[in-house]
Amino acid sequence: MNARSSLHITAGDQQTDTVVVEDTDTLTDEDLPWQVIVWNDPINLMPYVTYVLQKLFGYSTEKATSLMLDVHEKGRAIVSGGTRSEAERDVHRLHSHGLWATMEHES
Amino acid sequence: MAFKRSRLISRTGPGLFKVTFPPHIRAFLVQIGSELDSALDANHPALTRLFPTAYPDDAERDAGYQVFAHGALIDQRREAIRHVAETADADELTLETLSQWMRVINDTRLVLGTILDVSDGEEMVVDGANEEIVDVYELLGYLLSEIIEALQEDL
Repeated sequence: MNARSSLHITAGDQQTDTVVVEDTDTLTDEDLPWQVIVWNDPINLMPYVTYVLQKLFGYSTEKATSLMLDVHEKGRAIVSGGTRSEAERDVHRLHSHGLWATMEHES
Repeated sequence: MAFKRSRLISRTGPGLFKVTFPPHIRAFLVQIGSELDSALDANHPALTRLFPTAYPDDAERDAGYQVFAHGALIDQRREAIRHVAETADADELTLETLSQWMRVINDTRLVLGTILDVSDGEEMVVDGANEEIVDVYELLGYLLSEIIEALQEDL
């Protein structure tokens, strides 16, 4: 389904124009939540991954350990989510700590 | 009788840590920081793990992410290297400083692990060609474990 929106533009005393905007990508990005994934890698130490998740997201030891074990055993774990900009910020913080993180739309 | 392991780093209070690294380990940290700095300058191919993609299936969006992220990640790493060089002789470290030490150690481990092609479930083959790098990689892992253990106590 295409998202359509109508903008009514008034310029001073000039006539009012109606502009139909088709903007599926932008609306999808803003409207659909994104999720941040941490992927398994053979180099980072397991306690390090747990610590980073606690430090960045304030997770309890139990939750951070559970996520770390998902990363290690299942290959990936969803560690946070939100708008595109929120997800990018989290991905960047994880990259800054050397974790292999990506983001994608929730499926 | 239980033997208590002597720790290289211990938490002495909120956000404060005592470090008992011997002088050669401190000099080693400064040295690896300097070498990491040079590798950042040269855009060394083994640095790929330091600059991952954010959007693996969308090159255009990833390029947009990298515009701000790549430079920021380099700046953050250089700041950590500088911080380590300035504090390498200190016995009392703040949380901020110890975190910067951890960053330099972990970044270097990522680079060396990439060079060594470390993989899950496969024993690393150690030979004359990589023996020295393996030794450094394992030492960094040990130091990192010590730091994480102390930092965990401060959460």
